[in-house]
Amino acid sequence: MLTKKILPILFFILIQCSMIFAVPENVHAAPDSVNTAVELQHALPTPWMVIPFVLLLLMIATGPIFYKHFWHHHYPKVAIVLGIITAVYYLAILQDTHSLMHTLAEYISFIALLASLFVASGGILIKVDKKATPMLNVLFLLFGAVISNFIGTTGASMLLIRPFMRINKHRIKPYHIIFFIFIVSNVGGALTPIGDPPLFLGFLRGVPFFWVIANVWYIWLPALLMVLAVFFVVDSMNKSGADDKSEFTGKIEFKGFRNVVYLGVIIISVFLDPGILSWVPSLSPLPFGIREIIMMSVVFLSYKQADESILKANEFDFDPIKEVAYLFIGIFLTMIPALQLIAYEARVFSNLLNQGTFYWSTGILSSFLDNAPTYLNFLSAAMGKFGLDINVKADVIHFETVDQVYLRAISVAAVFFGAMTYIGNGPNFMVKSISERAGIEMPSFFAYMIKYSIPILIPVFTLIWWIFFH
Amino acid sequence: MYLLDEVLKNKIKGLYFGNRIILPFKAHFLKVVIEDDIITDFSISSRGIYIREKEEFTDVYFHDYKNLKSVVSKYEAIKILLVEKGKNIFDEKNLRKIAVYLGENHEITIEESEANILFVK
Repeated sequence: MLTKKILPILFFILIQCSMIFAVPENVHAAPDSVNTAVELQHALPTPWMVIPFVLLLLMIATGPIFYKHFWHHHYPKVAIVLGIITAVYYLAILQDTHSLMHTLAEYISFIALLASLFVASGGILIKVDKKATPMLNVLFLLFGAVISNFIGTTGASMLLIRPFMRINKHRIKPYHIIFFIFIVSNVGGALTPIGDPPLFLGFLRGVPFFWVIANVWYIWLPALLMVLAVFFVVDSMNKSGADDKSEFTGKIEFKGFRNVVYLGVIIISVFLDPGILSWVPSLSPLPFGIREIIMMSVVFLSYKQADESILKANEFDFDPIKEVAYLFIGIFLTMIPALQLIAYEARVFSNLLNQGTFYWSTGILSSFLDNAPTYLNFLSAAMGKFGLDINVKADVIHFETVDQVYLRAISVAAVFFGAMTYIGNGPNFMVKSISERAGIEMPSFFAYMIKYSIPILIPVFTLIWWIFFH
Repeated sequence: MYLLDEVLKNKIKGLYFGNRIILPFKAHFLKVVIEDDIITDFSISSRGIYIREKEEFTDVYFHDYKNLKSVVSKYEAIKILLVEKGKNIFDEKNLRKIAVYLGENHEITIEESEANILFVK
């Protein structure tokens, strides 16, 4: 327990000390926070430094299966130690504090959003007293997909996963949860910048707010319908609970309106960024802003003021968010070298890349890496083909008029492919954890891919590529 | 020793100490969910759980946890799917879903979980 508390503090002190003593060459070289290839040319990491990231991914995949006991007790230490190896390399060898501070800021922003949505939605209880049928489930998932564009894939996942499990409690199988992850936690949120973080980063860079819905809806819709159709077929074959004699009133019970207000506060606070609203004060050089302070305040207030009976019905516990917090500090740190190398390669080979390669590269990398920086790196490379700079807002606005197919390919792939693995998008892991706590035996990391995401999603995504980006 | 229905009806409490819970009834255990651990192996070789039946109560030890109170929050339950001793284990009607909450003073509250919380068989 002591190690759990000390390691993050040591890491933070390490970064703070290095800010004082290190020569921040890269900070001068890179005035902007985006890890574009231009700034990376100054300090490219050795490809060997991808090993901690690969190791962490392998351990996340194999730990719960082959050495469950060790993993259960020590995963926070593993994630933090591997992260510290990368951090020390950047501090001592590359003397690059900029990348670490940027990652720390992104991590704080990521975890503040996830934690606030997790806690606020934990104080909301939705009970749908209807008989579960494949069609009701399809409509429920469709509703989740639409609403994820208003409250984010994380917000929609946290709000709807429990009611979805409750409706299906007499017939639930792991595939219900997996399709929920596919549709509500990922694919659904491709229509607005609120839906998924990469689109929000694009919005911050200058992509107009309604560009996504105007240019992506006709890709979103068939992709969604195809996945829903597969779900309908699979769910129709599930005869569990067919002999259930329970009577249903058809009522929908909703409790916890105060926390709905908190959800609204979180969504509004997403826009409280000095890059969007000039009157919002920047707290630089602190690695967080007003937005993160508001979100963490919501964590505190929404938990303190929540109705205890709702928390009990939702079996509220901080462990799922703690698990995400520990694993993702490791993922965020160890993936810095991988992202920087990819950014560099993408920039170097940008002339050889077409919309198809942008689609697949962004997609496959978003399955394992954080999809937000992957989106930015490939957007940067695509703009480079036209001599445009991602750091210039006017260039981004111009880019979406020059050739929209690249932006479309990158936007769609970054969001859709997050469904390919448990670590592809933040809410995936939390949905898995909540489901396991309800007694549902979820597939392992590999089984998720082999049994579900590869056979179901890859054909759908291939068809999308064939129709729109071939 | 009590019957399970007596325990539920009269809200008779059990006890917990460290990684051990003491249930005031006897049962055949089929599935236990604690945190995100789903336990179905109740054999002697099981590393996660050990169940010991005594004259008046049932001891359940969770070997993966040193102190249950530090991992199971006050809103969270340890969920148990069981059949009360003496009843036909093959009759589905006898399957009971029990939620165990850790309270103050080492007391545990035992409730039927069906109506309130999510627990999938």
